Amino acid sequence: MSLLELRGVSKTYGNVRALWDIDLTVEEGQWIAIMGPSGSGKTTMMNIVGCMDRPSQGEVRLGGVNISQESGKNLTAIRRDKIGLIFQQFHLINYLTALENVMVAQYYHSLPDEKEALLALERVGLKERAKHLPSQLSGGEQQRVCIARALINYPMLILADEPTGNLDEANEKVVLGILRQLHQEGSAIIVVTHDPEVAEEAQRTVVLEHGRIARIIENDKWNKWNSVENSAANNEENGKGGAADA
Amino acid sequence: MFWRMVKGALFRQRGKMLMIAFTVALGASLSTAMLNVMLDVGDKVNQELKTYGANINVIPKGASLLDDLYGVGEGAGVSDKYLRETELGNIKTIFWAFNIVDFTPYLEIKAGLPAEGGEVKLVGTWFSHHLELPTGEALNTGMINMKNWWEIAGEWLADGDEDAAMLGSLLAAQSGLTVGDSLTVTTAAGPVSLRVKGIFNAGSDEDGQIFVPLPVAQRLGGQEGLVSRVEVSALTTPDNALSRRAAQNPKSLSIKEWETWYCTAYVSAICYQIDEVITNAVAKPIRQVAESEGAILEKTQLLMLLITILSLVASALGISNLVTASVMERGREIGLLKAVGANNGPVSWLVLTEILLTGIIGGVAGYFAGLGFAQVIGHSVFNSAIDIKPMVIPIVAVLVFFVTLAGSVPSIRYILSLRPAEVLHGR
Repeated sequence: MSLLELRGVSKTYGNVRALWDIDLTVEEGQWIAIMGPSGSGKTTMMNIVGCMDRPSQGEVRLGGVNISQESGKNLTAIRRDKIGLIFQQFHLINYLTALENVMVAQYYHSLPDEKEALLALERVGLKERAKHLPSQLSGGEQQRVCIARALINYPMLILADEPTGNLDEANEKVVLGILRQLHQEGSAIIVVTHDPEVAEEAQRTVVLEHGRIARIIENDKWNKWNSVENSAANNEENGKGGAADA
Repeated sequence: MFWRMVKGALFRQRGKMLMIAFTVALGASLSTAMLNVMLDVGDKVNQELKTYGANINVIPKGASLLDDLYGVGEGAGVSDKYLRETELGNIKTIFWAFNIVDFTPYLEIKAGLPAEGGEVKLVGTWFSHHLELPTGEALNTGMINMKNWWEIAGEWLADGDEDAAMLGSLLAAQSGLTVGDSLTVTTAAGPVSLRVKGIFNAGSDEDGQIFVPLPVAQRLGGQEGLVSRVEVSALTTPDNALSRRAAQNPKSLSIKEWETWYCTAYVSAICYQIDEVITNAVAKPIRQVAESEGAILEKTQLLMLLITILSLVASALGISNLVTASVMERGREIGLLKAVGANNGPVSWLVLTEILLTGIIGGVAGYFAGLGFAQVIGHSVFNSAIDIKPMVIPIVAVLVFFVTLAGSVPSIRYILSLRPAEVLHGR
């Protein structure tokens, strides 16, 4: 059973087609990068996979459960139990300390545990900064708090939206190092990024164009990518956006 | 964790929360001030109105009958019915004794003016009479208290002035008399010379009369120990249907209604109680005064109530705007809470708790500020302190709770409709 399966997923906002007939499978422990220009549907796909939106058409299965038409309340519960979210803008609560920001995710999941939250911060190298407010932390540190918050409930899937988009090179390396470590420990990660260096870390890169999967690149190494061309021309002939399975 | 989040929001967002607390405090202070003034304004306005004269006239039964049948002016000096002066202290022994502010008797006799060749009404009364009550208490009452709007040239009479008089301004002008002059009047006791100690301008019929201390009038008229009528100034409750029915016929009331009426300071109840303690007396409300007082009081209280309601509505709107703006500002934070697994209920409860705690802080501060405002109003309008009514505390608490709750409704609706994807990813 795959961790995540998207079958014929489309999403429209009024007359705008944000996603078009997406087929994608992610196995447990895989690291996937999603790339594409602005407006290609990356964020929409992220929202659907992250249970923050529903597809207009198609089916999304997470852990074998069809979540396509779940109620808002059930999607919240699924998101809480199975998904860890990392944001480009960190989205830390500015009046809570780093430790409390991590504990918020515990609180809404089950029970807050300060020791466990401290361990999560230690894992991202911020134990000493636990009592600091976000305004007292650098961008890289804030992103690491965001990662600690995403990890705290042991999610089956980590979704990272441009996790290094607001960071300098040094902090980018730190954050990528943490993600690499998480992947080595068996976490499944989907990263949305514009940055080829970030995508290079993933096992596969899914390239979106105009709401469709344009191609999937298997990344054993960035310079040895085996491009699996998903012929746009063929798709257009068949009236489909794109399909690829891992 | 819940309280850590609430504490964080309250203490680390002090600016926003203080602004909300200030708005609540403003509403609470106005409500506290207005409610305290409204609850005390009855006594205050009554006290104020008492300075403009009596609202009850006590006359002998026979004189009352003449008045009812023929419209003869009460105590016009033509009636030979009298009340006993010794019984007047009983007025301060009735159930509503503390509501009797002042009273003064009048004995009216006819006196001739040899110089002018006409007749004039000579009125004996108390000016500042020291009265020992049957209860052992004492009080000073009389004209000086009850007619304090009279303009006096010279001086008020004292009750011991046996050879002095006060003249109405009209009579003084007609006679060409001024303060210090002597005036000769003829009565049943013969001619008497009185020194003009004061000339008053009452703006009424009294300007054509002569006022002397009661014992002087009793001696000159040969009516020792008697008075023609008594004017009473009492603090009263505005009339209602019950009091109007009772005024017509107290026997028409049921026992329970009668008890309610008797134990409320309706002018009719006070009149009834005066009737009970003075032999052969009929106490009648001076309707125009009593009804005007009631109307003024009701309108003043209505005004206060409207101001209170308006201040609360304004406060609710202020809170609503501030809280909604604050919650919208925190849209990302709320979206984040939802993204990490919070449902609408817990997020709404979190925000509501923050606002209600802020409301409590603002409400307490506003209550004490309101007490101050009430005293400012009391001193500037009534020249006296406003009594602090403990019953205002639960009223203001309930009002602040509901106003804060009502003010939070738009923000809670915003929270319920907020989708995390919209605020976190801009879609």
